[in-house]
Amino acid sequence: MFFLKEEIKVITLHPSYFGPNMREYLINRLNEEEEGRCTGDHFVICVMDMVDIGEGRVLPGLGQAEYTIKYRAIIWKPFRGETVDAIVTSVKPTGIFTLAGPLSVFIARKNIPSDIKWEPNTVPPQYTDHADQVIEKGTSLRLKILGVKPDVAAINAIGTIKEDYLGPL
Amino acid sequence: MLLRLPPSLHYPITVTSLLKQPGDAVERDEALFWYVYQTTVTEGDGLGNKVEVKRRFPTKFESTVDGEIVQWKVAKGDVIDEPVDVLEIDEPCAHEVQFGGLCAECGKDMTESSYNTEETDVTRAPITMAHDNTTLTVSKREAARVEEDAKRRLLSNRKLSLVVDLDQTIIHATVDPTVGEWMQDKENPNYQALSDVRAFQLVDDGPGMRGCWYYVKLRPGLESFLENVSEMFELHIYTMGTRAYAQHIASIIDPDRKLFGDRILSRDESGSLTAKNLTRLFPVDTKMVVIIDDRGDVWRWCTNLIKVSPYDFFVGIGDINSSFLPKKQELGPPGKSGDKPAPKQPKGALEEHHVNGATAKKGDQTEVSALEQLVTMGGGDNPRLLQEQSDAQEESIMHQVEDRPLLQKQRELDAEDDAAESGSDSSSSVDDSQDLNKHRHHLLEDNDRELFDLEVRLEQVHRNFFDEYDRQKSRGLGGRVAALRGEKAPSKEKDVDLKLVPHVEHIMTHIKHRILGGVVLVFSGVLPLGTDTQNADISLWAKTFGVTISHKINMRTTHLVAGRNRTAKVREATRYPNLQIVTTQWLLDCLTQWKRLPEGPYLLPVHPEDRGEPISPGSKELAESSWLSSSDEATGGSLADEEDLSPPPGMDETSLVFYDEDQQAAVHEELKEFLGSDDESESDTDTPPPDKLPSPTKKRKRDEDESSDGDDEETESTGDEDDSLGSRLSQRIKRSYERSTGLKEVASAGVESSTKQAANDDTADAPAAQSQEASFQEPAEDDDELEREMMAAFEDDEEEEVANENG
Repeated sequence: MFFLKEEIKVITLHPSYFGPNMREYLINRLNEEEEGRCTGDHFVICVMDMVDIGEGRVLPGLGQAEYTIKYRAIIWKPFRGETVDAIVTSVKPTGIFTLAGPLSVFIARKNIPSDIKWEPNTVPPQYTDHADQVIEKGTSLRLKILGVKPDVAAINAIGTIKEDYLGPL
Repeated sequence: MLLRLPPSLHYPITVTSLLKQPGDAVERDEALFWYVYQTTVTEGDGLGNKVEVKRRFPTKFESTVDGEIVQWKVAKGDVIDEPVDVLEIDEPCAHEVQFGGLCAECGKDMTESSYNTEETDVTRAPITMAHDNTTLTVSKREAARVEEDAKRRLLSNRKLSLVVDLDQTIIHATVDPTVGEWMQDKENPNYQALSDVRAFQLVDDGPGMRGCWYYVKLRPGLESFLENVSEMFELHIYTMGTRAYAQHIASIIDPDRKLFGDRILSRDESGSLTAKNLTRLFPVDTKMVVIIDDRGDVWRWCTNLIKVSPYDFFVGIGDINSSFLPKKQELGPPGKSGDKPAPKQPKGALEEHHVNGATAKKGDQTEVSALEQLVTMGGGDNPRLLQEQSDAQEESIMHQVEDRPLLQKQRELDAEDDAAESGSDSSSSVDDSQDLNKHRHHLLEDNDRELFDLEVRLEQVHRNFFDEYDRQKSRGLGGRVAALRGEKAPSKEKDVDLKLVPHVEHIMTHIKHRILGGVVLVFSGVLPLGTDTQNADISLWAKTFGVTISHKINMRTTHLVAGRNRTAKVREATRYPNLQIVTTQWLLDCLTQWKRLPEGPYLLPVHPEDRGEPISPGSKELAESSWLSSSDEATGGSLADEEDLSPPPGMDETSLVFYDEDQQAAVHEELKEFLGSDDESESDTDTPPPDKLPSPTKKRKRDEDESSDGDDEETESTGDEDDSLGSRLSQRIKRSYERSTGLKEVASAGVESSTKQAANDDTADAPAAQSQEASFQEPAEDDDELEREMMAAFEDDEEEEVANENG
């Protein structure tokens, strides 16, 4: 689910950047470091705007300036039960690996409808019900997230397509 | 699932009441039954004294899993003395497939643990099975199921699995930017060989190597090889390169992904940076798996392995992805391998020229003792070491980019050519030099035939496997048909019976043992001192072919594999009539070609003095021809006509009569030359500490002094060594060209032949022959020659003895 979240980030600036373009530089730094970051809990999709850059404080003994920036960002936090669209990255006899944006989701064989079978003899290998449903590398899927596990810098998730209106798009 | 009591309970325990009945649902940490246990505790008696008393404590036993109770295995009042199964619980999910710490089937977190956790659920799925993903793990049962499916499919398609290594097995890659320049330069002598080299750029490849270009040469015949082999095998890639690298290579050798699909395993997913493990891909059994790789040690010489000779197209580059692996060691004593010939001699040109052939094979033999290997492999877990190694990898890549070893080599080569040219210019006609000019030596050779042989071998394995399978099956069917009185056989026919599948390991072992079975080998001068002869790579490799390696020569010994001449073992071996003394090349060729080659061309030239009997007739000639032919064999027979010129060994027994002292000296001179690099290295290592072997060195010194005092001509030659050497060599080269036209390509052969001819034809040429010797800084007159020869022999003896003492 997407949220607009207000967050705080502390950026330390080297004295060589003190000057007229300092603000610009801070914004660039913030965008570079935050956008696309995975905190383990959510993904930061986009930094919307700065609420407050605040006043820089020169650190005693270092000469560097510390800025506490308040900003708003669009974040995505995947939840159990959420339905997302994903793209298949590879298919294995044990299941299907997909990517829903930055989130890697695995669909185990048990969570694939029983009529969609593993077919290793085709090139590339695929899951198919021998009718109109073919799942191979690059297919778009709609899946439901069964479980989410945060890691240090990534989130792993388990998905299912064994429900109504799920499966290849 | 059967719930077992943990060993940490206070046994014996007595069950007092069961809280759940079969059919009840339980959750984790829910009480299952009450029990009492007895223990001694220290209590105060109210008067300040401490008393130890026995007490009984009632306790609840809590479930460690969710599920529905199926059956109790214990009853009220039971006394339990040891960990036993107490009840059977039907779990809704056995968590057999896990993804990144989640059960892939029910989505539960597997890493949770509490006071009640015996072992986390993660341990239920310990096997990493997917090629390209390490976050997916499966249980043994799931792995077996998947693998069984795969085997059924393979059997019905009549295929086996083949694990293919990339670097130096089917391709050779380098990052030397010189290749890119040569590919643009039509004038470059290497242009032809580089015409089908592919290049790609790896952008995200760690700091410092950003945007590094990789140049990839496919082993000749690769396309048809893969095409044909994929009919018989399902192909997997297993490489020590990075994922991105492997993907790029795969898209080069298999653009449609028809052959490999996404069955690509790189070092990112391998789990170990130092060893390859078949169970990583085939966790249950490896009955139907064949491996091709140029290194045996990383596979610990497992029986599924077909070792191929390393493909070394970009000379001197080696395997760019092997920094993590145990170091390759040179086979034989250093300086002997011929990879680094003395650059002053024009012979160097030939040696380098042929690195793809014989010399490379020698140099690339992996020689790592088992212990060292274990140590290095054990180090794989050490993060600091890993860091160091990855730094080393980066560094070596950087070095390659900056140092351009290929360019250096080609320059050396050109310089040698120039030297030879200018030499011949000074003394010969113009067209001769033009001829040379046209024939500017190219560094890179494109004459590898390994894949064609390999295909035949794989075919053989495949055929034998399915022959055996069919035999088993028909036998099994026959039995069943007899028993069941002709049940519908056709339907059975289609069914594949996994129990009947033979082991491909057994089949390969069988084939290999037929090749060199019964051979009892002794090594001499092949392995460095102190190496464990049983566990050296060459030994392990040979052993897979049924060879027995023994330490001492005895009546059972069939072959002595000698890395150099004139060792104590060679001398000893001559006393056994049925024992063949062969060069290392024989063994290597046998092992790579899967054939028991005739020993004839590989026989080691035995020095006449090493024989038990008086000077063996024609030993010199024998030495000459066999030596030449053995190097010939691998380098493509360019010296064939020269070999024909030299009379067969038995023929010149008569000519021996005419040998006077001078000629004999010349003969020895030549033998010395053959052993030259060897001697050189020895004297190099011996001379720095003169106190180690005082008498021979002193003696030699004195000899030198005497000779230089006594003979003006000799002094002159040493004095003008640098100046005169070039022109003399070129003279001899020229002479050799005049004699046999076929030799123009190979200058060094000309040198050898000219030396020989010089020695035989007239004694006037003897000093010229000795100018070669002068480069070893041992100018001496003919008479001293013999003496010095003997001293050298003594030295060898002493060394050998020391070696023997040291074990």
